[in-house]
Amino acid sequence: MNYLTPVFGLLFQETNSRVSAALEGIKHPDLSKFLVIAAILFIIGVAGVLTRRNIIVIFMSIELILNAANLNFIAFSRYLQDTAIGSPLSGQVFTVFVIVVAAAEAAIGLGIVIALYRNRETIWIDEIDLLKW
Amino acid sequence: MILSGWESVFFWIFSIAAIVAGLLTVMARNAVHSALFLISSLVSIAALFILLGAEFIAGVQILVYVGGVMVLFLFVIMLVNVGAEEEGRAAIFNRTPQVAAALIFSLLLVLGLLLAINRGYKGLPKAETPETVVANREAQQQTLPPNATGVSRLTSDTQRVGSSLYSYAALPFEIASVLLLVAIIGSVMLARTLKQELAADDVDPEIVSNPTPPAGN
Repeated sequence: MNYLTPVFGLLFQETNSRVSAALEGIKHPDLSKFLVIAAILFIIGVAGVLTRRNIIVIFMSIELILNAANLNFIAFSRYLQDTAIGSPLSGQVFTVFVIVVAAAEAAIGLGIVIALYRNRETIWIDEIDLLKW
Repeated sequence: MILSGWESVFFWIFSIAAIVAGLLTVMARNAVHSALFLISSLVSIAALFILLGAEFIAGVQILVYVGGVMVLFLFVIMLVNVGAEEEGRAAIFNRTPQVAAALIFSLLLVLGLLLAINRGYKGLPKAETPETVVANREAQQQTLPPNATGVSRLTSDTQRVGSSLYSYAALPFEIASVLLLVAIIGSVMLARTLKQELAADDVDPEIVSNPTPPAGN
């Protein structure tokens, strides 16, 4: 690729430097890449919560959202370890608590789903409207 | 924090796997397929945790989420499944205007988040290049004790996470244990049947199912 650099450099000087910066980012992913991945997972979870009708799939989307937050915590924990700014492992400690709360939430939520299914015979959220109007 | 070499290859593999599996979780017609895709997404995220040097959290993620929470999900799907969804008789998404609005606002949210990351990331201090990171990591590894086979080195990160869970995060740790107790009792209370409820309240189920008073009363 190097022998082509003068040719492209004359034509697309700005683009070339941007492309090489992007390639550098792909070869050496840093904190921002982890943040972008976590943001995309978070949005997928939010879209799932907002669009699905099945209440169990909505719970699964919530788990996806919590995992995106965990990924952020761990990425910042590693970043603080490497740059030695703050307390390095508090992100990992907090992630343990997020996992605990997620487990408790899943147990309670699924208990509610079972009780609801016994009473209403449905798991579609647009039919569970007893408290709505 | 900069990854390099094979680490970056695995980073891209696992992050793309996590995103694709997450999308399929949201879009799968069958709830069991959704759960299985969510499991693969969670395992990919656990691999990302290992890349970030959080081996303990990766293990907890696989044991608690994949081994515990997702099995619970699968059991509830089996108990509750109505079958109309995967046979195509029921819509899996909400009404079209709702879905359109949700997708538009999700798109706005993702654009805002990416813009915020782009803007804010430049302001963070980063005095490292890939070469210095690799050199630093190798220098750190030389100070660690070797393991039994002598091939790799033992890190003390997990030990430090454990000791900080019991020292400065001791109070939240105890509160988390109480929360888990409440969740156990709450899910048992929620999931019992009417008959079990009456038995716990010491009421004869015959009275409720047969409300007419006996003759001669």
